[in-house]
Formats: sequence, structure tokens, C-alpha cells
Amino acid sequence: MIPYHRTPQPTLPSSAVKIIGLGGAGVNMLERVALDGTEGAELLALNTDVRTLSACVAGEKIQLGRDLTKGLGAGGDPELGHQAMLEAETEIRDALRGRRIVFICVGLGGGTGSGAAPVITRIAREEGAFVVVFATMPFAFEGRRRREQAETTLNELAVLANALVTFDNNRMGELVLAKQGIHEAFAAADHMVCESIKAVIRLVVRPGLINIGLDDLMSALRTNRSRCLFGSGIAKGKDRAASALRNALASPLLDQGALLKAAQTVLVHLCGGEDLTLYEVELLMQRLQKFVPESAHVLFGAVVDPAMGDSLSVTLISALPEDSLAASPRATSSTAETPLADSASSAAAPPPLLPTPAPEAAPPRDVSLDALPAAPAPSKPRRTPAAETGIPSLFDGGDAPAEPATAATPDPAETAQPAARDSAVSAAASAPIEDPLPEDKPYVFKPIARSSIPSKAIWGRSPSPDADSASDPDADPTPAPQPDPFSAGLDDEAEAPKLKLGVKSQVPQNELSFDSTPRGRFEGQSPNVVDGEDLDLPPFLRKKK
Amino acid sequence: MARHSKIHVGLEIGTSKTCIVVGEVRPDTAVKILGIGTTKTAGVRKGEIYDFPQARACLKDALVKAEDASDVEIGSVYLAVTGAHIQGLNSRGTFRLPEGQSIVAPEHVEEARTIARDIHIPPDHVHLHPIIRNYLLDELEHKTSPAGLYGKTVEADFHIVHGIGARIQNSIRLVRETPLEVDDIVFSPIATAQMALDHEQRERGALVIDIGGGTTDYALYLDGAIAASGCIPVGGDHVTNDIHLVTGLPFSKSEKLKIMEGDASADPSRSVGMAKLVDDRGFAEVEVRRSILNEIIRQRLEETLRLVLQRLPEDSVKSIGAGIFLTGGTSLMRGFSELAYDIFGRDIYRPEPPEISGVQASFKDPQYATAIGLIRYAQILETERAAPPGLFGKVSRLFWPFGK
Repeated sequence: MIPYHRTPQPTLPSSAVKIIGLGGAGVNMLERVALDGTEGAELLALNTDVRTLSACVAGEKIQLGRDLTKGLGAGGDPELGHQAMLEAETEIRDALRGRRIVFICVGLGGGTGSGAAPVITRIAREEGAFVVVFATMPFAFEGRRRREQAETTLNELAVLANALVTFDNNRMGELVLAKQGIHEAFAAADHMVCESIKAVIRLVVRPGLINIGLDDLMSALRTNRSRCLFGSGIAKGKDRAASALRNALASPLLDQGALLKAAQTVLVHLCGGEDLTLYEVELLMQRLQKFVPESAHVLFGAVVDPAMGDSLSVTLISALPEDSLAASPRATSSTAETPLADSASSAAAPPPLLPTPAPEAAPPRDVSLDALPAAPAPSKPRRTPAAETGIPSLFDGGDAPAEPATAATPDPAETAQPAARDSAVSAAASAPIEDPLPEDKPYVFKPIARSSIPSKAIWGRSPSPDADSASDPDADPTPAPQPDPFSAGLDDEAEAPKLKLGVKSQVPQNELSFDSTPRGRFEGQSPNVVDGEDLDLPPFLRKKK
Repeated sequence: MARHSKIHVGLEIGTSKTCIVVGEVRPDTAVKILGIGTTKTAGVRKGEIYDFPQARACLKDALVKAEDASDVEIGSVYLAVTGAHIQGLNSRGTFRLPEGQSIVAPEHVEEARTIARDIHIPPDHVHLHPIIRNYLLDELEHKTSPAGLYGKTVEADFHIVHGIGARIQNSIRLVRETPLEVDDIVFSPIATAQMALDHEQRERGALVIDIGGGTTDYALYLDGAIAASGCIPVGGDHVTNDIHLVTGLPFSKSEKLKIMEGDASADPSRSVGMAKLVDDRGFAEVEVRRSILNEIIRQRLEETLRLVLQRLPEDSVKSIGAGIFLTGGTSLMRGFSELAYDIFGRDIYRPEPPEISGVQASFKDPQYATAIGLIRYAQILETERAAPPGLFGKVSRLFWPFGK
């Protein structure tokens, strides 16, 4: 189902890569990408609003809904955006023909972005491209409606795209200081997205000394229904290896590297100028070891790129299963409790996409078609309509968010769908990692000075036991549906007992035990404690913890 | 003023070595080192004696060597003491002149000094040095006693060094058993500073850090007077111990590795490859990644220097004009100056002993800084005690800022 083959990886012609900015926010991101300089990729801007489109610096532009919106925006209506996109479908199909990789930048929540993103993703997939979607979630203050629209689309994208990287605007506060201007905040956000795009491009386009290809990218993002951990850092000068890594870890998506602790696969990509030395690489990897669990699979790639000059860039990509972020002591109760929570929330709230934890849904990992027989399991159906309608169109039948249970049972006909279908089903089957128990959500970032708004907690974990948000655990995941359904169902089984990993506040404090630690020459002496640290123990060991 | 040469002996029982320096103070105040006797110490940890018989044996050995080298029979010594229990603090005594008196009398000054010295120290502690920093007369600073001047309020600023009496007495007892007389006991960093800093450097502000085997002693001078002193019980032994704990190598190898290969500068280019030790036949017997070795060393020394920085009065580092003077055996670590610069951001110097003649090779080594400083201390103390008031007394104040 992934339309690519391992062999021709090393050199990808620039014409094979296309970056698409969709909607107002997407076009902004695209501009940032254009301004920062893209190495070997075509840029395509898509929007309904012809004004912003005309101001865009992208090489190619396609106006959506020429007859439908007549050059105006979609007005925040996803349905309109969806129709507009369908209108321009052939044009876009032409533009995407023969592209190997398509990056789609989109700001979710609005009309064009939310409505058109699933369609263009589908089109790109049908044209045989590998699709990576970079999506930003709306700010909490933009209201619940937009949030829901964004989440609906995100769920579809999770199914449709090969890889999905989500940025939560609410976290942008961590990129900039609170008192900095709003334009700086947005610029920082765009910059972040842009850096990610560039890093991924660098990753897959450049022939590397130690090559990393899409396959590695995919396996880094393999964890099902996952949140993408992404960090990219660049540094130059003395000690650049260490500072590049520091910058990479400073990414708000990585939480100073603490989140990497739970990662199973970590992709590390180094790009340096011609003076990149082996010891720098060694140094950097050593430092990284402190953040990555020993058992993790580290996919390492290195590239020498003269254009980098004397700087060195590090990109870290990994994925965390959603539930590893929430302490989930639900080992026994999951089957019993979740359907309850589901029905409650589906009754209360419009969101149609309720990933339900159905451990029985795990078996279909072998062949995607198996998923269908397995699907009718009682807890499954709610997810299916989304996956199902997501392919042709979610918005076909009118106001999608208002019809949570269109298809209570999966339609057997959907097997007829093409390749994209498979991932849809497997993702659907394995989606149920979310645990909807509100009390299981200790992982709550501080809502950035907006605590009064009943905001969805970042990463989709709501602090309030409000049924709606509890049923929308997709607030900001970065699910990466994977091509092969093998690991699909396994993950939630495997991840379930893994509690609190990588959660900063949850990591138990390491205590220095005076008795158990060997202290060499100073054995048996009264501990030499200053500021709570035993000076007789090597700082090398103390600081590492 | 002494018209003939006088011989002083400095004794430092350090964590790694016991060192006796015999110095001759000429009538023209020049110091000549006659001989040095050192021996490796056993029975001392972190600057404090924990095994008396061993320490005594070492002391005797050093004494014999020093007597041999200098051809002097040693009868009494100046003893440098250190240890985490010793600390320095500043205290100010204020005395308001009684009504009707407007001229400061010597007893008024004495009263202010008494008040300043009368600080609360733990019951088991004793005063080591009450060092006068300066006097204030109605908020105006005076270097010397303001007796005889007009004023209302006399204040005396003291830097008081105190430590646990029993431990200091045990050190003295050890020396007395040798048998040697103890002329005076001196807190190590203060002795070191006598050697390391000249008058001008003290005026401009200087920090002496003596990082030895078991302790790191520091003394900060600002405006010509001591402003802070203290001891952190971390030294080169800890570095060795860290290497031992992290790499699992035996102490002897760790020590050798530290001395031969270690680097504290955090310069990645110095952390390339493996650090090797070869045995007698030229085979590598120990191999450690340089990056790990250097990181262990760096982290330890960085932490130690940060502790020093923490203990200095706030913002005092900014007033250090002359720079930071590093002495002690561990300061020989490669890259240590870079590290110290990274942390303090001040000029880093290795002190050069001024106006001392003798065996050059010996006293250039920072390991002997404290013991040589003791000679200097003794010289100053001696002149102070012997000097009749007059011109020389004033001159000697340049070297002896401590008062009587």
C-alpha cells in the first residue's frame, strides 16, 4: 500500500517532491518555506481566497472553488472548502502527477484547510505519492467548533496520509516569550513547521553517507495512533555537535528530550558541511544516548552537504503511542469501561470519530481485509464511519460533525477501495489506543495563560472530565498510520501497561541512596552532602540521572 | 627589626602529601628556600587526619628529608590546617564613643574589635584567625586604627576564620608528638594567598583557589583585605575516585590516567579517541575513551569551582580586578584554566612566587604554594611582632594587612 520501493532512494529528483500549502495558514507556512529556501522541491499554493493566493510567492498556485466561492474564502465552512477542492480536482491531479513525495501544510479548523485537506491527501495518494501532512491545530481560544472541525479532519488525515505531524498552536507559547509580539509567535510557529519540512526533505532527498530513507522515516513513525516527536537543531562553531543536539531537544515537541525516554524507535539524522568529523558524530550520539532508552531502535543517518557550511544540523524524529503519555492503569477495566464512556460521550457530543479501545480488534493486523470481519466487534463501529466516509468524502452527506453514527456497522463494500483503503482500515482497527477515562490524564501541560477557557489540554488530554473532550482524544495527536498493518494492533497491547513513560512530572525522582552506591575511596565516611548532593559521588554519574 | 637571617619552617599536612619547607628570611626581607621535604601522605582524607600513626610516620619522613635538604635542625613550624569544618565569615563590630569624647582612644578601637570578634560560632568551634579587614570611622574607611582621630562611631570589620577546636588541636598534637613546636596555625588558603598575591593584586581584588588532593581552599581579597575564605572538601582525590567509580579501573591506574591523559577544558577536539596507559613492556593495559575520561574530570572540577563561586559573596566576582590565581596540585590538570575561565569569566593566572630565591624547580610547582606561603606568613608575622613602631611598621603593613 505504500507506493514506493526501497531501491531508488538515494537520489530523488527535485521534481519528485512537492510542498503544498493549503488554505490561509498553509499558504503562510509555504511562504515561510519559500523564504527560508527549499532545497529541491516544488511549491504549490492552494487556496480559495484569491487575494492571499496572489500575494503568495509560491511557484505554482491553484485557486480552489473558482465558481463556488468566486475568489473569496471558504468562510470557515469545511463543506465549502471540500466542494471547492473537488471542483479543482483535475487541475490538482495534473499538478501532482508523478510526484514521489508530497508534503501538505495545512492549518486545521478553518474552511479551506479542514475541508480540502482530506481530499487533496487522497488525490495525492491516488497519484502514487508518499504523503506527509503537517497540520496545525487551532488555538484554544478559537472555540470548540473550530477545534472539532480540526479534529474531524485530523482523524481523516490520520487515516489517509502516510505520515502526519501535528503542531498545536497552543504550544506555540513555548516557542516564544509571552510578551513577544503575536507576529513573532506565528513566525516562530511557521518556522518550526518549516524546519520540520526541510528536515524531512533533507532526510529523504539527500543521498546520505549513511542513508536514511522513507522506510526509516516510516519505521520511526510506526507506532500506531501516535504523537510525533520532532526536534531539529542547528549549530555552528566550537562544540557545535553538543549545541545542535541541545537545540534539537529544545523543541517543544520533545519536552527537553524527556519524551524520548519512551520512544521505541528514534530516527537521528545529521547533516553537516564538509568538515563534519566522525568524532562530532560520535560525541553527539553519545549525548543522545542519555535521552534515548537503551532498547530503542536508533535509525541513524548522516549526510555531508557542502551547503551547510560550517554548521551542523540534527533532526530527531520519533513517535510516541498516545496512551504512553497518559498513565493508563486500565489493564483490566478497559473492555468493560470504555464502551460505557464511549456511548456516553457519543450521546453527548457530536464528534463522530470515537476511537474505541477494542483489544479484540488487534487480530486484523495480518491482512487488512481481515479487519473487516473483525470490525463488527461491538466497540468498533463508531470508528468505522469516519474511516469509511473519509475516503470518498466526509462532507458528502451534509454536516458531518452532526452525524456521529451514520453507519453503525461497517460497510462490507468498502473492501472495494484502493490502496489507501488498507491503511484506513488498519488504522481504524488499531486506532483504539485512546483511553477515554478522564481521570487517566495526568499529562496536562499548563494551558498557556488561558486556563479559563475550557480548552482541550494540549496533546488532546483534557484536564476536565467533560465528556466531549474526553471523547476527542485526537485534539492533537500526530497519528502516523502506517503502511504495514503488522504492528498496528500490537501497539496498544504492548503500550497499555507502560505507564507514565516520558512524562516529566511523573518520572519518579531518583534518590541518592547512600548505602547502595559504591563510593570508592570514600566508602564508609560520613556523606559529604552539599545542597542535597553527595559530593563523594562522581558528578558524571549524578548529573546523568 | 631583625638584623640577622631568620629561619622559618612551614608545614602542610595535605591530603596527598606532607610538605615541609624551610625558608630563610634575610635581613632585607628576601626569602630564600633552603630545602623542601615532601612525602606522600597516608591517613589523611579531605584535609583531615583520620589515621594518626600513619600521618605521624609521614610527617617524620618529611621532616627528615627537609632537614637533610636544608641542613637545618627544625625545632618549630608554622602549621597550615584545612578541612571542611573551617570557614571564614565577616563580622563588623560597632562602638559608639561615650558622650563628651570626640577623639577615638585606643581602648575604643579595642572595644570595637572585641565586639566584632564576639560572634556566634558553634560551641565546639574555635577562632583560628580574627583578621582585621579595615576600620570605619563614621562610615569612612580607614586602613589603620583610627585611634587619635576625631569621630563618633568606630567600627571594625573582621574576617573571622573558625573551625572545630578538637580537630585543629589534634593536628597540633600530631606535630607536637613528632616532636616539633607549633609557632602558629594558619588556615591554608590564607597562607597560599601570602605567596600567590602581592599587595597590588589584593588591592585590585583577587581570588586564590588552591585545589589540592582532598580539598579546595579559596581566599578572596577585595580592596586589599580578605573578604571570604573557606574550604570545599573536594579535590584531586575525588577526580581519581570518580574515574575509578565510572570506569572501574583501580585507583593507581585512575590516578595515572588522570595525570597523564586527563583534560578539563571540554574542548571536543581533545576528547577524541582512546586514552591509553602502557605497562612496562609497552602493551596497552588500560584503555578509556577520552571523551568519558574528560567528561568525568570536567564535571567534577566544574562542580567544585561552581561551589566556590556559590560561596563567594554575591557579585564579588565582578569586583575581582586582578584575576583568579590557581594553585595546588590539581590545578596542573590540562585545560583547568579554560574551565576556570568558563566559570568565573575573569583572568586566570598561575601565581609566581615573587622575590624568593632558592631551588627554583621546587617552588615553581603549585603543589608547594601553601607551604611556601607559610614562610611568607611567618615572615610577615615575625616582622609585625618584632618591628618597633615607625617607618618599617608602616611598610610592613603592605605585606601584612591583618593587623595585630
